[in-house]
Amino acid sequence: MKPTDQNGSPDTGIAGHGSFFQETNLSREEAVRATDWVRKHVDRRTVDLGERMDDVREHMYELEKEGEIIIHRITDEHEPMAVRTLFGWEKKVPTKQLWHHKSCGQCGNIPGYPTSLLWFMNEFGFVPGKDYLDETDQTSCTAWNYHGSGIGNVESLAAVFLRNFHQAYVSGKQHGHELGHFYPLVHCGTSFGNYKEIRKYLIESAELREKVTKILGKLGRLVDGKLVIPEEIVHYSEWVHVMRNRIASELQKIDVSNIRATAHVACHYYKMVHEDAVYDPEVLGGNRTAIITSVAQALGAQVIDYSTWYDCCGFGFRHIISEREFTRSFTMDRKIRVAREEANADVMLANDTGCVTTMDKNQWIGKAHDQNFSIPIVADVQFAALACGADPFKIVQLQWHASPCEDLVEKMGISWSEAKKNFQEYLKEVEKGNIEYLYNPELAYGGQA
Amino acid sequence: MQQIYDDIRGDFRYDNELNGCLNCGICTATCPAAHFYDYSPREIVQLLWTENVEQIYDAMQEKIWACAQCMTCAARCPFKNSPGGLVAIMREVAIKHEMQSAKDVLRPFGRVMLKLITTGNQLSPDMIQPDHFPDWGPNIQKVEGDLTVLRKAIPVKTLQTVETAWEVSLKTSVEMYTIWEMTGVLKSLELMDENLFDVIEDFIDEKREEYDEWLEEQEDDD
Ligand code: SF4
Ligand code: SF4
Repeated sequence: MKPTDQNGSPDTGIAGHGSFFQETNLSREEAVRATDWVRKHVDRRTVDLGERMDDVREHMYELEKEGEIIIHRITDEHEPMAVRTLFGWEKKVPTKQLWHHKSCGQCGNIPGYPTSLLWFMNEFGFVPGKDYLDETDQTSCTAWNYHGSGIGNVESLAAVFLRNFHQAYVSGKQHGHELGHFYPLVHCGTSFGNYKEIRKYLIESAELREKVTKILGKLGRLVDGKLVIPEEIVHYSEWVHVMRNRIASELQKIDVSNIRATAHVACHYYKMVHEDAVYDPEVLGGNRTAIITSVAQALGAQVIDYSTWYDCCGFGFRHIISEREFTRSFTMDRKIRVAREEANADVMLANDTGCVTTMDKNQWIGKAHDQNFSIPIVADVQFAALACGADPFKIVQLQWHASPCEDLVEKMGISWSEAKKNFQEYLKEVEKGNIEYLYNPELAYGGQA
Repeated sequence: MQQIYDDIRGDFRYDNELNGCLNCGICTATCPAAHFYDYSPREIVQLLWTENVEQIYDAMQEKIWACAQCMTCAARCPFKNSPGGLVAIMREVAIKHEMQSAKDVLRPFGRVMLKLITTGNQLSPDMIQPDHFPDWGPNIQKVEGDLTVLRKAIPVKTLQTVETAWEVSLKTSVEMYTIWEMTGVLKSLELMDENLFDVIEDFIDEKREEYDEWLEEQEDDD
């Protein structure tokens, strides 16, 4: 017999319904009709949908033909891999020659995810300055501020987007390559959603293009008098997604089959301009975006579903700063508690600055409200790096996390105390100025490889 | 009041974000803000759809600031509306009209705004400290130590900073200031918080001077 909750409803939490789930008592015919409708319109808008949504890239190609813009294209040199998106488009994900576009929240407080990403690139034998670049000539997308405060506007967001991506386009020159050599890889979920939305507006509105062309002209950031717009906006977790099998087969050192992993995908990854988010029929039946889950599966972890998978983390942009009761109540009640109770998760994997911060940092205060739930929160790429033998402190930088990562690391068979001891020794070296780098630090300032 | 409504409706995104409404409530059912506040995306959409000017104005006095901008509503709505996107337009209009709600809500955000407008970064390592976020607990870092040293232990040079999330070149910052100016962002800031605006202006002037000096030095070197 299935377990039931206090109302007598089947309590099938792990299968995807919380204990609050109640039968609708629809007739079979009604249920089929309702389910079909939801499938078609809401949940699974994938490959089998037939009707395709308007594809912004086609309009971009037209504008380029008319001589209005230049498209920063993904070429064979970027060794792209094709993926399917929610509406069945094919999206190219470049795997090489990447321009790391950092995230203003992540770097300040979850530095382990950019470092894990660069670490992976080195492990694959990528040459810094040729196969990837991390430079200081970039601003944040500034969308965090916009969504939090309303200060900012479409024009400022568009100008920032085009400025940063122009820099990505020309950055190769300094290192003796062609224009367009490096392709931007966006680290942040908010930037990813924002850039896609803004790109859509730019393509739709000649007026907006005209306005920002003036600004970019003043900054000296036009090419042949034209705006440079990227062919695809690519998120780092999409890179991890397409590299997952190589990560697992070439680099994995640790068996993670005893780890129960839950996924939380950033809202702005798949709910903004959702037609472009990556879906894969092989991953959760294509009913949910594939990223995060796919890498956890490739590594052999147990991916456990939970009823509030779809909910946001509670970040709220402004809320995490000035309405913290909302943020922490939402994150504890709708994410941490549920992942603990329904999935008994060893870890929650996420792919964005805001989500990792929100769910990581707000667990302690829960105790004040008798919410004694805790779960380690790390990015997908950090988890993958751990599974591939990266140092939990020096590379994965777990020392910046407030959530209880110790148990997870130990359960993976890595000694936390040993790693911590080594790191503390290393800190003494750092104080003396003996610092280790993943690559030649001069590259950060536009130096030669 | 009518002007406020006209400004919302006049935004070029408006027709994209509002396509009719079934009043089905899917958006509200899925909305995190609706769990905690007297706020409902369905209500916002209905008010706009039925052109209820007076109540739209009322909603802008407080409600619109509850939205967490997660866009869950936008992904779920069968009519392809974006209640969250409409709220974003309403917030911009609230600022343009210097509404008190915008000023009140943005005041506690000032410190972060200062950081963002001047450096392009939002939360920096020196802000993520227990004195700024006491509710994040005493152990928001797992290793004791001086922040500068801990940052130096990150094996990526651009991240070894304390006051910004990563090191941003001076030229980049100066370009960003030009964007703020030319797109009216600094103007909006001045409307919302004059003191903050003054502090930011001084900072920007200083950085620009620094950059000009640097350029001159480069020329002298040549
Ligand atoms: S989900 Fe869409 S159609 Fe339904 S109430 Fe909300 S805005 Fe209206
Ligand atoms: S974007 Fe705003 S209105 Fe929409 S679901 Fe999120 S919090 Fe609710």
